[in-house]
Amino acid sequence: MSFFKRGLLSITRRPGKSIILLAVLFILGNVIAGAISITQATSNVESTIKDRLGSAATIELDYEQLDKMEESELMNFEMQPLKLDLIEEIGQLSYVKYYDFNTMLYLGSKEVNAYYGEDTEVDFAVEENEEYISTDFQFKGINYAPVVDFEEGKGKLVDGRVFTEDEIKNGTPVAIISSKIAELNSVHVGDTISFINSVYSFNEETGEESVDNSREVPIEIIGIFEPQKVNTDTENNEEFNWMDIDYQNTVYVSNELVAAETKHSMGEMAGEYEEYYVPIFVLKQPEDAQAFEEEVNPLLPELYVVRHASDAYDSIAKPIESMSTLSKYVLIVSIATTILIIGLVVLLFLRDRKHELGIYLSLGESRGKVIGQIMTEVLIVSIIGMTLSLFTGNLLAQSVSDKMIESNNEQTTDEMFYYSELQTDLTTDDVLAAYEVNLSTEFILLFYGVGIATILLSTLIPLIYIMRLNPKKIMM
Amino acid sequence: MILEAKNLNYYYQDGESRRYILKDTSVSFEQGKFYTILGQSGSGKTTLLSLLSAMDKPHSGEVLFHEKNLIEIGYDSYRKNKIGIIFQNYNLIPTFTAVENVLIAMSITENDIPKDQKTVAYNLLDYIGISQEKANRTVNKLSGGEQQRVAIARALSTNVELILADEPTGNLDEEMEQEIIDIFKKLAHEHNKCVIMVTHSNDIALQSDEVLYLKKGVLNKHE
Repeated sequence: MSFFKRGLLSITRRPGKSIILLAVLFILGNVIAGAISITQATSNVESTIKDRLGSAATIELDYEQLDKMEESELMNFEMQPLKLDLIEEIGQLSYVKYYDFNTMLYLGSKEVNAYYGEDTEVDFAVEENEEYISTDFQFKGINYAPVVDFEEGKGKLVDGRVFTEDEIKNGTPVAIISSKIAELNSVHVGDTISFINSVYSFNEETGEESVDNSREVPIEIIGIFEPQKVNTDTENNEEFNWMDIDYQNTVYVSNELVAAETKHSMGEMAGEYEEYYVPIFVLKQPEDAQAFEEEVNPLLPELYVVRHASDAYDSIAKPIESMSTLSKYVLIVSIATTILIIGLVVLLFLRDRKHELGIYLSLGESRGKVIGQIMTEVLIVSIIGMTLSLFTGNLLAQSVSDKMIESNNEQTTDEMFYYSELQTDLTTDDVLAAYEVNLSTEFILLFYGVGIATILLSTLIPLIYIMRLNPKKIMM
Repeated sequence: MILEAKNLNYYYQDGESRRYILKDTSVSFEQGKFYTILGQSGSGKTTLLSLLSAMDKPHSGEVLFHEKNLIEIGYDSYRKNKIGIIFQNYNLIPTFTAVENVLIAMSITENDIPKDQKTVAYNLLDYIGISQEKANRTVNKLSGGEQQRVAIARALSTNVELILADEPTGNLDEEMEQEIIDIFKKLAHEHNKCVIMVTHSNDIALQSDEVLYLKKGVLNKHE
């Protein structure tokens, strides 16, 4: 009769004790399963949302640090723009898949209507006084011809083409506009549309601004893009509605073209024009963020910091974050408690069976096989208890996390951020939608792994305590 | 000579001093003989038996089986393959049946056992006086005498040359006691086993081939 068979027979011959052990394991299994479920669900949310946030990084002023500065410090602080050389140097780092640097300029148009949202019918573009043109169009100067925003899925080219290297280099007046603008103004790829670039002067005596000089900026449409909306629930969220409007009114052009028009708009001050670029670096993988930051930080001028797209996660995932922390604690405490309780229960059962273990040893059975028999008994009961608690623990986790999310979400409001290149339209609602407690293979393996390791450890400790003695002492 | 103990010392440490249970005890045993070790309670009989059965280790001295040190043989291996032990309180596993208790010992030993272990176990129990119906009962449903018979069957089931028994008749009535002693005599004289039995009964000792008297840790041949 092998030790395994002896173990099996012992379970069935001592039904009372087996049921008590099963009940204890079932209860503790529920706590462990629940904690693992929540930990894993929160970790899944983190990876899902961080994936959706992408692996882009930018370099910008550390506004938080600026806010903390005294007024006198601020007055003396001379902000240095990011030099193109530095952007290019960082762009060459091994972590970077591709990079771009952008300049911005807002222009208006007499012939092209801007988009103001689905429900807005009023045409604000041309006001009564024709001298003033509402500058609704955001000209986004780019250097990366295939357009980073398209590569990263913010927008999608639906008609025409992207830029050529020559167009970027020479500042050729070609652009990619949104499908909304194209539709609103019935323009197509190959058409030329005209924008107005005005030079304003300010009369210090009257305090009035007047247009000094205006010039038309004719631009050929080479492509039409469509924003790839992530957030569909814009009804209750004005902030994201404006972000959508802003993107629909974006006109992609080359940096050279933006620089030329910016200089023109500066009028007499054109000589003081200084290039100002907002860089964006798309990393090969999100895991490189830390290493990239460590390598870039020493190269940056004072008060500049690296910002990652995934930084937004911490702000939008507050309800999940507290649950994640709590579930980690619960998991640690439940494992420690399980080791202690199972250890004590097994020790209590072993006290009854100490004599039996001594008998096996007196018959010459090896200590390994005696330990093996007890392990077999505990493991078989454990696996039954754990399998039952796998499902109930999961249901428990689902119901507990629903309640916690509900309560945490009531206390959370989405924070407003400084506008940045990495602005996301993902919200807490998206995070909560991504939260899902389920029975994945990974969860099942993790649960059995953690559970069995915990049970083995808590059984082995009292067993070794007994088995170190010789048979005579065990049977005494 | 099947078993020999040389200069065995066993003591309990009591602060600075040592309380000796066995002091320089030497003894030897031969095959085909039934030995009894006689002595008063606390004389060290059970300790001597536990050292001879490798259930405990002496503080000094050695035990030789067929002139081979037990340490060399290995304590587990010695208990598994060379000896059968019978205890006063039977030491059967209460959740198993009589035949299962015998089968457990047969599954542990590395000695040659016929393949059909269950049949062998039933036959052995039958030989000792346990019917098949009783053999299928859990041992706690058997009488003391029956349980001791199961313990003897278990000790014999591993096909060993040496049987060590620690007051095996201590809990039995006189009739049952005699039956067990008869079995031991038969094992020694008909099956060439060496049977060493610890007892405090002079009557039993008189029936053995050789009596060893243990007093204050010193072993003497009883004339």
